[in-house]
Amino acid sequence: MSVTRKSTLLLTLPVFGLLLWLVLYPNLFVLWKSLVSDSRFTLAHYGEFFGSASQMEALGNSLLISLGSVVLSALIGIPLAFVFHRFDFPGRRIFAALASLPVLLPPLVGVIAFLFLYGESGILTRTLQILLGLSEPPFSMRGIPAILWVHAYTMYVYFYLFVSAALKRLDESLLEASLSLGASRTRTFLRVTLPVLTPAMVGAALLTFMTSMASFSAPYIFGGGVRVLSLQIYNSKLNGDLEMALVETVVLTLVSLLFLILLQRYEATGKYRAVGKGASPSLRPLRGKGLRLGMAVLGISAVLFLLLPHLTLVLISFSQDGTWTTEILPPRYTAANYQRLLADDRFLEPILNSLKMATLATAANLAFALAAGWLLIQRKLRGRRLLSALTLLPWALPGTVVALNLATTFSTSDPLQARVLLVGTFWILPLAYFIRNIPLVVRAVQAGFEQLDPNLHWAARSLGASWFYGLRRVLLPLLLPAAAAGSMLAFVTALGEFVSSIVIYTVDSRPISVEILAQLRQFNFGSAAAYGVLLILMIAAVFLLFGRTLDERHRPAGQ
Amino acid sequence: MSRLLQVIAISVSLLLPACSPAGNGRVSLVVYSPHGKELLSDHEQRFEARYPDVDVKWLDMGSQDVLDRLRSEKNNPQADIWWGAPSDLFEQAGEEALLLPYRPTWAEAVPPEARGSEDFWYGTYKTPEVIAYNSALLKEDEAPADWDDLLDPKWKGKIILRDPLASGTMRTIFCAMILRELEKTGSPESGYRWLGGLDANTKDYVPNLTILSQKLARREGWITLWNMPDIELQQSRYGYPLAYVLPASGVPVVMDGIALVARSEPRPAARDFYEFVTSRPSLVQAAREFFRIPCRNDIPSSELPSWIGQTLIPPMPLDRDLLRKHSREWMRYWDEHIRHQGDGGPGPAPALPGGIGR
Repeated sequence: MSVTRKSTLLLTLPVFGLLLWLVLYPNLFVLWKSLVSDSRFTLAHYGEFFGSASQMEALGNSLLISLGSVVLSALIGIPLAFVFHRFDFPGRRIFAALASLPVLLPPLVGVIAFLFLYGESGILTRTLQILLGLSEPPFSMRGIPAILWVHAYTMYVYFYLFVSAALKRLDESLLEASLSLGASRTRTFLRVTLPVLTPAMVGAALLTFMTSMASFSAPYIFGGGVRVLSLQIYNSKLNGDLEMALVETVVLTLVSLLFLILLQRYEATGKYRAVGKGASPSLRPLRGKGLRLGMAVLGISAVLFLLLPHLTLVLISFSQDGTWTTEILPPRYTAANYQRLLADDRFLEPILNSLKMATLATAANLAFALAAGWLLIQRKLRGRRLLSALTLLPWALPGTVVALNLATTFSTSDPLQARVLLVGTFWILPLAYFIRNIPLVVRAVQAGFEQLDPNLHWAARSLGASWFYGLRRVLLPLLLPAAAAGSMLAFVTALGEFVSSIVIYTVDSRPISVEILAQLRQFNFGSAAAYGVLLILMIAAVFLLFGRTLDERHRPAGQ
Repeated sequence: MSRLLQVIAISVSLLLPACSPAGNGRVSLVVYSPHGKELLSDHEQRFEARYPDVDVKWLDMGSQDVLDRLRSEKNNPQADIWWGAPSDLFEQAGEEALLLPYRPTWAEAVPPEARGSEDFWYGTYKTPEVIAYNSALLKEDEAPADWDDLLDPKWKGKIILRDPLASGTMRTIFCAMILRELEKTGSPESGYRWLGGLDANTKDYVPNLTILSQKLARREGWITLWNMPDIELQQSRYGYPLAYVLPASGVPVVMDGIALVARSEPRPAARDFYEFVTSRPSLVQAAREFFRIPCRNDIPSSELPSWIGQTLIPPMPLDRDLLRKHSREWMRYWDEHIRHQGDGGPGPAPALPGGIGR
């Protein structure tokens, strides 16, 4: 116990220090700047904001879209997790891994792939139009429904991955106990399974809400002028209205914080810690050919549907630029887009840059999350709520803002103000990725810790294991599914990160996303898509690698 | 766990050695420019062939983004050269002390409006703004011939525009329309009304040029407003079915420029680059390959492609002082009160926003 307390103390300082310095400090900086005009305190900008009908409209839309995204993502992600992690059928493993792919559509081109699929002249739209004999397209990919569609399509993965990790940790004996005590399957599900999954679902809901609040590409490309806060910030900044951009940033942050507090209240009312005895749940082998087939068809077709934008991107990458106009599918195919990439002697540079920076950031994220996660389950720790809020704060900020904060705060070296010159150096981008992914990894690891019985560690200790041995051989292996899920997400997010990168990349650290943008600017649509496809392949490789790690290590003994 | 750590450790150790920039002994020179990969690589290669000890690195981004970046890097400038932006952006940057005055050797060869105040920038290319259309859907004589034709109800739902807030090109066109009305009536009101009429016919505002040209090529829209070199490049090099008309009552021309970025120790190579890309051979090359019309008037027309003579007629006079003073306010008004007031999409036809009051 005393060692635990000491280690807790030892962790508290660096964890809080980093959060205060890298997360809170830049935010306070923004808040302060939004309240000060010509070195005088003023609420005028806030008055202007709340007095403007279009700003209120943006706020309302942002809220509506974010809540809608949470509901829709949960409706897709949770059932999928159950299908793939409670039942066994042919093709399960590969499709279980593929199901997490949509979380990272390659930046820009990935979202544009939606246009080619569901847009007014998209593949599906035109097919439907012809099949139904309509004179007008049956729908157009515009406005709030379009944004929700894209969000649900990409953000269900948070629910899917978090719930999957929790399901892997679900204690089968609890379910058996419940059933043997006479509870029905439904009752067992509602009263046992669901409560145990709550931390994972709360975490996913938070990430979805905050990502939607700060989401940029979807409203930017599909909004067709729908006002949302993240776009208002961008527009204000472009119009040179920095004060308004700051006010909008503060409001957006506050809304996300409010949601965070509400969810934490809710989470605090329940007790979810499962007593960790017995084996992890076995997959339920489905009896009956029909059922087996049915589940396989259901799961696999759902995944294929969710991968349609990726497949569209592959199609575009092989189509000849400028020839695909009125046809349903590209009329002419070519490998020229890939050849053009390979012929460029700067081709590998952005890929290596992104790999390098994503690896650095993710390694830091994992180490940090293990420390923070450990602190977050110390129920007696003072400031635990604050710690939890701080670790989630980066998600409440649009990527542009995180980058701008960094660029502002770390533009000079000034030890007295805790400022270090990072602008224009290699390190600023990995740092931005690290900060943006703190919530993702911490939340995942925390959910793992929450499900963990701390008594296990003490049991190991009482059997003579050292504190470290207990950590290494008991706690960490149990945390692996959650930690791997979080790190994996963080890594692929960093790999394709666009919104912050575009603000602070330097000549020597051009990431993939910026290269895709450069191709797009030059109308090399096919080459941009080809780059996107390469990125997808890299992400798929990561998922397979980590996914294998996960499965091998966690196959219950004796099976 | 150890497996996970192994994966991470291996990847870190593989990648870290690549972190340190290759020290090849060359001086690097950083260029921020919206001129696009192909024009930039072309000039990079020719410049490096002549100055082998200089390593040119360019970052391709929109001109508004360049200004944003220079602002945030003010305390630690990364760029040496800013190549390409409408003149008013350069003027703004000059006022914010982001630029370094430099008087090029050919300063006398450009008209006065292509010389920035205090030598902060000089004009490179003249970029005409035009009406573009899908040439597979419309013949040349069917396309709108002038700005006012765009308000004809027959184009309702057929115009797709790039979002003007983020685009220097579109801002110039919108502000030119307001300036034109301002000259006639003395107030921006009728200009706003004109833009309201255009908004009523506009189906969608799209965030970037690539999506815009895709939507036009795929017949989601018929008509757009954009600059001539881009349309020409897409048509001739990438085979998009696009063509343009020069509006009969006047073509707004954006003065594209070049400037040195203010930094405490300016690199000498920056001036070499500045002079190199604005040298006569480079300008001729840019005209022939990339449809850029040079500002310098000391280039014999025999060296330039023949289309140049016809393109700039008739120019629309733009009061650049008024433009610089008011463009922000006008665009903000447009965003708040005009955008999507008359939805060009399906639905009931909206009335022209007649009573736009303050």
